[in-house]
Amino acid sequence: MKKVLWLVLLVGALLLVGNVASSSAEEKVIINGIDANFPPFAFVDKTGKPDGFDVAVVDWIAKENGLKVEHKPMDWDGIIPSLNAKKIDMIASGMSITDARKEQVNFSLPYWTIKQVMVAKAEPNVTPEAAMKDGNKIGVQRGTTEAKWIEENLITKQGKKFELVYYDSAPLAIEDVINGRIAAAAMDDAPAKDAVSKKKNVKIIGTFGMPDEQFGYAFRKDDTELLNKFNEGLKKIMASPMWEELAKKYEL
Amino acid sequence: MSEGLTAVINAFPYMLGGSVVTILVVLGAMGLGLLLGVPLAVGQVYGNLSLRRSIEIYVWFFRGVPLLVLLFLFYFGLFSMLNINLSAFAAAVIVLGLISAAYQSQIFRGAILSLPEGQFRAARALGMSDTTAILYIVLPQALRLSIPGWSNEYSIILKDSAVTFALGVPEIMARTHFVATRTYQHLPLYILAGLIYLVLTYLGTRALRALEEKVRIHGYAHH
Repeated sequence: MKKVLWLVLLVGALLLVGNVASSSAEEKVIINGIDANFPPFAFVDKTGKPDGFDVAVVDWIAKENGLKVEHKPMDWDGIIPSLNAKKIDMIASGMSITDARKEQVNFSLPYWTIKQVMVAKAEPNVTPEAAMKDGNKIGVQRGTTEAKWIEENLITKQGKKFELVYYDSAPLAIEDVINGRIAAAAMDDAPAKDAVSKKKNVKIIGTFGMPDEQFGYAFRKDDTELLNKFNEGLKKIMASPMWEELAKKYEL
Repeated sequence: MSEGLTAVINAFPYMLGGSVVTILVVLGAMGLGLLLGVPLAVGQVYGNLSLRRSIEIYVWFFRGVPLLVLLFLFYFGLFSMLNINLSAFAAAVIVLGLISAAYQSQIFRGAILSLPEGQFRAARALGMSDTTAILYIVLPQALRLSIPGWSNEYSIILKDSAVTFALGVPEIMARTHFVATRTYQHLPLYILAGLIYLVLTYLGTRALRALEEKVRIHGYAHH
């Protein structure tokens, strides 16, 4: 009995010590927080390694600057708090640049323009207007710019009477489109295209009036050094053929 | 369905990797819970009034606040304020361990209280100090009696560990989600995750059952 107890305690203690030790030894590695549920910008590949357009670009810039970057999949809800709590050092994961977010973080140069679209079941004559009719349900990912924009503009200002349903990720909202629980799901066009390419029974039905957005990498307010490095890196890669190659590779 | 099956087969090694993370979180949390839970239980049974009250408050707090809230409070709040830079994994183990200590202390307390009171008095009468009596008479019996309750606690922590993805711990559920996002095979992958949890519950409770048998004192029953 005693031996077993000590073994359990020892394992527990070692785990904690090992962890604290390893986290302090890795200080020089820059940690990029990603939402791994956001293909093709950020996802986890078959072997479990972070992959995606943003991941590849950050790796390229890091290599140019002799930096070591580790990509860490995280929950989108906690990603900005994680950055400000220094759990991660940057966010390169298809984050739209917004004024509200600018109050909390610094953004790099915009590197991608994105449209907001709706995805619905692949049936003839479905339009965003029809999907948004009274009493219908529209899905969005929680904490996204489209969620905020729809709440503020379509529901509060224009007084539309559909119900907004919140999901952990856009792919889960699409699952519910297929299940028929919601009429359509609103999301960025890139993940929408990704979804349509993998699921034959859904299609992009069009835009819903939200202005285009731009993606940027987020950094802590006081960390201008890293921000400058990545701005330089972005300029360089966007001017090189590598940019187009990567966009093609990730079907953007 | 064949697409789903392919996704499940491809994802299997990756998900098993997630099981290792889950198991480490659970072992760490149970170890920490045991380390803190035993003294908490002893303190609550034998301690003076202020100690008993403090332990009651600890137990009330950690049983009363939802896991997700505690994870955020500690990871983004307390640990950051104290400038302790813990990994998500370590934070998950500590928070789950503190919660488990609260639950485990009540398992141990119940076990201690179920022992005949006369034993403690008899030990004192034989000249043992309180500490000796607790360490050599009470705890060896109480811990044995706690194993069934402990296996309950194991299966609860096992499932609670799924919530730790909120901090970015790459355990089973997190990985399920990642693979589902990439392949759009949500249902088959959730079924796989459910099966893995079932197997882990089975293995864990079986191991504890074996432990219970192994440490049983034959012919001894306290009634």
